[in-house]
Amino acid sequence: MLKYSIKRLLQSLLTLFIIVTVVFLLMRLLPEEGYFGDAYEKLDEAQKEAILTNMGLRDPLHIQLINFYKNLLKGDLGESITFRPKVPVMEIIKDKVPYSLYFGLASIVISLIVGVTLGIAMARNKSKFWDKFGTGYVVFIRAVPAAVYFLFIQIYITGIFKLPMLFKINDPKTWILPTISMSLGGIASYAMWIRRYMVDELNKDYVKLARAKGLDSKKIMVRHVFRNAFVPMAQYLPATILFTIAGSIYIESLYSIPGMGGLLVEVIKRQDNTLVQALVLIYSSIGIVGLFLGDILMAIFDPRIKLERKGGAR
Amino acid sequence: MGKGAVNKLRNSIEDNLKEDELFEFAEFDEEEAKRGGYSNYSYWRSTWKVFISNRLAAFLLILIAALLLFTFIQPQLPNQKSPTKIHNHPETNLPLKNVKPNEEFWFGTNSIGQDLWARVWSGTRTSLLIAIIVGCWEAVVGITIGALWGYVRWLDRPITEIYNIINNIPKTIVLILMTYILKPSMFTMIFAICLTSWIDMARFVRNLTIIIRDREYNLASKCLGTPTRRIITKNLLPYLVSVIMLTIALSIPSTIGYEVFLTYIGLGLPVSTPSLGNLINEGRLLILNPSQRYQLIFPAIVISIITISFYILGNVFSDAADPKNHV
Amino acid sequence: MKRLLALMLVLMLVVSGCSPKSDETSSGKDEIAEYSVLYSGEITTLNYLVTSTTSEFALAANLVDSLIDFDKYGVAVPGLATEWESSPDGLVWTLKIREGVKWVTHDGEEYAEVTAHDWVDAAKYLLNPANESKTANIFYSVIKNAEEYYNGEITDFSQVGVRAVSDYVLEYTLKKPTPYFLSMLNYVCFLPANGAFLEEVGDRFGTDNVNFLYNGAYIMEIFEPQTRRVLVKNQNYWDKDNIFIDRINMTYNQEAATLGPELFARGEVDYAGIPASLVEEWMQDPSKKDMIRPNRTSFYTYFYALNFDPQFDAEYEPENWKIAVNNRNFRKSLFHALDRVAAMTTAEPYNPEQRLSNTITPKNFVDFDGKDYTEYGKLKEFTNTDSFNPDLALKYRDEAKKELEGKAKFPIIVYMPYNSGSTEWANRAQVIEQQMENLLGTDYIDVVIDAKPPTNFLSEVRRSGKYAFLECNWGPDYADPETYTDPFYPGGTYNFPEYVEGYDDPNGQKRYTNLVDAARAEVNDLDKRYELFAEAEAFLIEEAFVVPYALGGGGYSASRLNPFESQYSPFGVSPERYKGQKLLEKPMNTEQFLQELEKWEKERVEALKNAN
Repeated sequence: MLKYSIKRLLQSLLTLFIIVTVVFLLMRLLPEEGYFGDAYEKLDEAQKEAILTNMGLRDPLHIQLINFYKNLLKGDLGESITFRPKVPVMEIIKDKVPYSLYFGLASIVISLIVGVTLGIAMARNKSKFWDKFGTGYVVFIRAVPAAVYFLFIQIYITGIFKLPMLFKINDPKTWILPTISMSLGGIASYAMWIRRYMVDELNKDYVKLARAKGLDSKKIMVRHVFRNAFVPMAQYLPATILFTIAGSIYIESLYSIPGMGGLLVEVIKRQDNTLVQALVLIYSSIGIVGLFLGDILMAIFDPRIKLERKGGAR
Repeated sequence: MGKGAVNKLRNSIEDNLKEDELFEFAEFDEEEAKRGGYSNYSYWRSTWKVFISNRLAAFLLILIAALLLFTFIQPQLPNQKSPTKIHNHPETNLPLKNVKPNEEFWFGTNSIGQDLWARVWSGTRTSLLIAIIVGCWEAVVGITIGALWGYVRWLDRPITEIYNIINNIPKTIVLILMTYILKPSMFTMIFAICLTSWIDMARFVRNLTIIIRDREYNLASKCLGTPTRRIITKNLLPYLVSVIMLTIALSIPSTIGYEVFLTYIGLGLPVSTPSLGNLINEGRLLILNPSQRYQLIFPAIVISIITISFYILGNVFSDAADPKNHV
Repeated sequence: MKRLLALMLVLMLVVSGCSPKSDETSSGKDEIAEYSVLYSGEITTLNYLVTSTTSEFALAANLVDSLIDFDKYGVAVPGLATEWESSPDGLVWTLKIREGVKWVTHDGEEYAEVTAHDWVDAAKYLLNPANESKTANIFYSVIKNAEEYYNGEITDFSQVGVRAVSDYVLEYTLKKPTPYFLSMLNYVCFLPANGAFLEEVGDRFGTDNVNFLYNGAYIMEIFEPQTRRVLVKNQNYWDKDNIFIDRINMTYNQEAATLGPELFARGEVDYAGIPASLVEEWMQDPSKKDMIRPNRTSFYTYFYALNFDPQFDAEYEPENWKIAVNNRNFRKSLFHALDRVAAMTTAEPYNPEQRLSNTITPKNFVDFDGKDYTEYGKLKEFTNTDSFNPDLALKYRDEAKKELEGKAKFPIIVYMPYNSGSTEWANRAQVIEQQMENLLGTDYIDVVIDAKPPTNFLSEVRRSGKYAFLECNWGPDYADPETYTDPFYPGGTYNFPEYVEGYDDPNGQKRYTNLVDAARAEVNDLDKRYELFAEAEAFLIEEAFVVPYALGGGGYSASRLNPFESQYSPFGVSPERYKGQKLLEKPMNTEQFLQELEKWEKERVEALKNAN
């Protein structure tokens, strides 16, 4: 396993290098006007040249790339160029991560607990009340666009309970609604998939055998069915958890939460190259590690899955 | 059969036959082999039977078929208005803006006096077209690559790395570049979504494939020298059909959702090309406005119908596609 | 399930208990005037020597004072300069700096005294290309040798036309006599900066509230990007008796446009823009009707330009358009056919007329002895007439048809791109397309609208001439009508009127160029100068090179501020200041607004007359 892990991580470094380089080049394909925002209109040529030169955009492409990697090796991600000029990228990101992390993790915990419970309840009582209730909920969440029901919840729930509408750091009351709103989608999808896989599993012979053996049905559910049903989902879990640092664009913009939600979109639009590169680097590292952990987790849940290639199988 | 009877039988066999007479080689007969493999069980027919016996599913299937049909023939029907024509008051010549639903305008008009009925259907057409094309693309490319990725071990590394690369290049950059190079239009949008969307489906299929790849019956198949292609198509995919169908069914509403999201972050279609995304986005601002809320409600209802139908159909179909549910 | 719920609640409380920061200052002080507002766009920097974006220098304007101020009628009054005079040739301006004004740090501690050297140091910073100033060009357009220094042709800064004669005397030397120079002193590139501090913080100047020095009405106590900002009254401010709001809370919310009105109605904020779609609803609600009022318009001008150098794709027939646009009657038929009210309803459905403008230069921009610029000469004719006139449009159409028969192909394609990033603009394009085609007939024109991506829109469309008929806008750079001639003067990137056929003057120049040159040359007699500029502008409109359309600003808002108390000026940082503004008990309603507006206009004429 260790050897496998090391090999895979080394390979990931190469992948990371390719990703960041591609993004680096893609950003340079964007038009120069984008670096100036609205100011472009009133500038004269000398100023535009001065500004672009200062941003390092007048150097030949390969020099820019080499400089970027040189600094990266020193651990320097550079300074923002248009989002908050001259402020180190890490400083910007560092302030935002805790918020997204909290809301993300809290919502994953809630979604997992509630969603999985609901999914099991649905599968155990197929076509009975819990199943119908759960299906109704899942259908509702899926059917109404998130952009609409988030806004609805914010305006009407705060109105009914006389809560402040916007998030305030030191008012715990304002933490609740965004957390719950963020969990709604997760609950629905966990419930749906758990139900789906469990119903598939329940039809299998080993379950019938276990039943015939007279095993407690609760035990069957938890020890066997749930464990097997959880395998396909386990794959996604690490990445989902790690990616909470990316934040949620809808929730964060509605409640004024100063997290990472939408930051990447925003900085891409503003063409803040350094910030984009830093974010892509962080997100892809997370994505790669997440995929790797997912594979391992899957192998742990289901010992039949073998990740390593044993002596020239094919 | 009692224990005694078994012993008696064994004794009599051993008595009468020698070891090499126990079995004899049969001649290979192609005709006979075919007969043995034949059964009048057809997987798809059974699936259909189970599927259609669910009354809700049958109803939704008809509903969605009718909706699709109506969406596409609506402009040809008599008395339909153009989705972009601005209606003016015949006397004052001012635009008939924000007219509530009435006999003339069944869904009312929007803020500049365009007929919402026509816009909703035109938008549905646009969005469904995008979603269906993307869905088909996802299915074909995603499943093919996913199955290969999961099954063929030596492909795992390279495809995983390619996946990592494509998956981690922000879609926003690709979209912005696309809309910059091409111009904002339906084609651009389909192209941009297709460019990246298959990747999730591929990963999904890959994971399922890995899970069942090493199961005994596949090992057996492999030992018997069945070609990879055949194992994938005959052993793996049918097993996956139920889950894949659900994913495809969900990919249509989720593509529509994605389009709404793109519109939200400002990368959607221009409002002169109505789509459910920009209709919802325009309507969203009116949520606080009871008298104009209908401009949000109508497109939202259409989205909901499409989503619910595809979701339930997908679920019922995937239940039906599971051979264990076939009688 | 119950246990689970309890667990979740505990979890939530624990996490929220140890939340990242907790730094609210106790709001124990009673009776402080506090003003709360949402904002949806975060600033990129506080560095007022770099930015040219209004929302960014709007903050700095409250933190740093300028040499001169404007009062609420737009009369120049002393700021950090107590007196000023110019030499008889108008080239040298000498200003006396107020004594005893202090620079303070973000925690209110005194840092240094404000002296004339601070303007010299600011200029030095501004003219260093490495600092990426976006307003340096405005500075070096008037100051002697500044452009040469910026471009590195001069390395000795003492040759640049800014000098501290003593600690309290500042002297500017201009390139050429500039009648509007005084008004420029109110702009960001003429704000002071302490040289020692600039050196101390280097690159970080203006990146947050700590790396910043204050000498204005407010100090920024808290600056958390994408979260909030808090401004508190500067206790050391030289004119603190005129500051009536003690604390300004600004909360970031990306959805401010959607949530603002609801938050205002609930009393959580003191200002909210009311989107066009909500105005009618609020007007009909008796409890909300009195909360909203119109906004004043800004000096941003919007107009439709006819392109004389079409470069768009052959499928839209640029050659044919070129023939048509050089026909005066064709242009005039478009000019009179555009129903600007119908177009404006896409942005301002409730009261579209309030934002329309019949001239390129807005009303109340500049005046001479109380006589508004738009009332000069021929321009006056247009100022008070709506260009939309169906009868005239049809008359010109028939004549154009006759003249163009056999020369141009009918219908003439009017290629009109728009920015797909703006819903209002997209709607407006559709309205105009159908309205003009209905009026003039589809056998005469075929308006083709085309969605273009927001990325690089101006370069791709306007600057490269890839349009026939386009909505354009322009904001002033200084308080003089000359600033509104830039888009049309040769070298401009708007509609390239220098390519028009005909209108040749004996000196080989186009008529418009000569008219502007003559006006620019008149630097001593303001009355004459305005007369000449008005003539040039009237020419553009009369010959239908452009169709004046509208002004920026406008719309409706709910606010506890009185817009007529704010400092008034067509240009510069003054209008962004909270100085002099008081909190109203109740928001102003539309009637009060109109009354106040009328009163203000009357008082203004008096004030301007007295000032001169």
